[in-house]
Amino acid sequence: MQASLFYKAQVWFRGSKTERHGNVMKNFQKGFKKHFNAYLFISPFFILFLVFQLFPMIWSLVLSFTEWNGLGPKEFVGVQNYVMLAKDPTFWTTVQNTFLYWLVAIVFVLFFAMMVALLLSYKPLRARGFFKSMTFFPYVCATVAVGLIFNMLFDFNAGLINEILRMMGLEGVAWLTSTSLSKIPPMILYVWRNTPWYTIIIMSGILNIPADYYEAATVDGANVFQKFFKITLPCLGDILFFCFLTLTVESWKIFAEPYVMVGPGSSNMSMFQYMYQNSFVIFKMGYASAIGYILTMILLVFSLIQFFIMRRNGEA
Amino acid sequence: MDYTSKKKLTTFFVYFCLIFIVIISIFPVFWMILTSIKPTSETLSGLESLVVHNPTLGNYSAVNKIAPMLYPTMNSIFVTFFGTVSTLFFCSLAGFAFAKFRFPGRDALFLMVLVTLLIPQEVGIVPLFTIMRSLHLTNSLWSLIIPRAATALGIFYMRQYCMSVPDEIVEAARIDGCRDFTIYTRVILPIIKPALASWASLTMISRWNDFFWPLIFMRTPKKYTLMVTISLLPVSDGLSTPWPVIMAGTSIAVLPIIILYFLFQKFQKADLMAGAVKG
Repeated sequence: MQASLFYKAQVWFRGSKTERHGNVMKNFQKGFKKHFNAYLFISPFFILFLVFQLFPMIWSLVLSFTEWNGLGPKEFVGVQNYVMLAKDPTFWTTVQNTFLYWLVAIVFVLFFAMMVALLLSYKPLRARGFFKSMTFFPYVCATVAVGLIFNMLFDFNAGLINEILRMMGLEGVAWLTSTSLSKIPPMILYVWRNTPWYTIIIMSGILNIPADYYEAATVDGANVFQKFFKITLPCLGDILFFCFLTLTVESWKIFAEPYVMVGPGSSNMSMFQYMYQNSFVIFKMGYASAIGYILTMILLVFSLIQFFIMRRNGEA
Repeated sequence: MDYTSKKKLTTFFVYFCLIFIVIISIFPVFWMILTSIKPTSETLSGLESLVVHNPTLGNYSAVNKIAPMLYPTMNSIFVTFFGTVSTLFFCSLAGFAFAKFRFPGRDALFLMVLVTLLIPQEVGIVPLFTIMRSLHLTNSLWSLIIPRAATALGIFYMRQYCMSVPDEIVEAARIDGCRDFTIYTRVILPIIKPALASWASLTMISRWNDFFWPLIFMRTPKKYTLMVTISLLPVSDGLSTPWPVIMAGTSIAVLPIIILYFLFQKFQKADLMAGAVKG
């Protein structure tokens, strides 16, 4: 059974070339035995993926059509959860918030990461190792811990940020106690903590660009900006695309930042946080699964759009 | 402006920016440590918070009274250690297979690994919890280790690195009669040490700082990891905890991994192909 599945997979992947040979099955078994170790070596990932990712995802689709408190019997309710979500203002607030978190993450994380990476790859720079490990520092610190520190920094009365604003003759800002501004501290925390990760990825890309390109450009009299836009940016295309993709997935599931830096009501709650609240605080498992599924769909749409953009660029 | 002074100006600008970034990067932690050694009698507001007159370690024992830190610390160490070791092993093994073996469906399977990156595991958290419960893994630290013993990103990284290992080395080992797993342990592992070290430090950081998973799967305070414990600090006992005490808690949670990170920096400088290919 298993072998035949693998056979089908093989035919699928390699075209039906193997079918021309006489005793296909035997050939394949021989092939499978020959490659057994390779399959064995990669199997842990796929087993874990099936058990802890694919299966839960399918199950949660089923759950999203039920009403379930986590222990009792499940009741099939059709699309009721989705209908309720569409009418749920809190849900729409969380969608909006998460969208803003994503937007800020994409713009600022990638901008700062690019900037720091360029600074760090400045040729005559000394003590590069020192600067590299120091700029990576935020990523080492736990979101929860820094979130608590930020709570103190952004405190209305006693926080350092407001104190500095007052010293500059401005008014203190009610960061975490106002509905409109409570998203800002989690955003700052997210950008602060995640920039270093993308810095090292972008930097590895910059280091791979052949030095001759820049030398040739210098000979031709190109300035810094021309070099950046004509050499660095195009050469980093794939890397930036990868960063964009992973950052999108990561930022849509933002959780710890708004969880630790609670704003009033649901003013800075993320979708993921709302899902957590529904599932593990008030035990509306079906409802939570529906939220999870909408999140999945959003990410899927993003991936598809990106896939098409990439393909169009590839063809052009 | 002539060429050299322009260059000097650029260099100055680069250093200035970098120093500024470094200050922003380390300031919160610096401030956290300052606050954590402040006696509760000293003021915390505004710029005054930057001055410590009588440093004390009292907050550390205070935080330990509110939330005992011993078990959470042990739990965090356990999860970080086994999480890192298992990830390194399974990811490098799979990365090696993807890079150095030719087998049917290899590229399609590798593409599948990459595609899994696009859907976060946490989306199916509700069924995942049920699965864990039926495997008797809720409230067990293994629930934080097993599902992520082999990660897509890790496999991707290890594959990239293994690709740079010359085929000749692998072939030579095979001709010498090494079996696949022996090639992995004797040939590949020593060569990819730098990759292992840098992936280890990244995995350590993410396991140690992990918050969502322990928050969900750990049900009793004795099983909490440090991150969950400190997240509960602000409102423990129904009262609001004084800031210096909370900061002592966050220091306990943050400092070990910072120290470990800087220790690991040393290993990463090792040479990529040191002594692998002669002549």
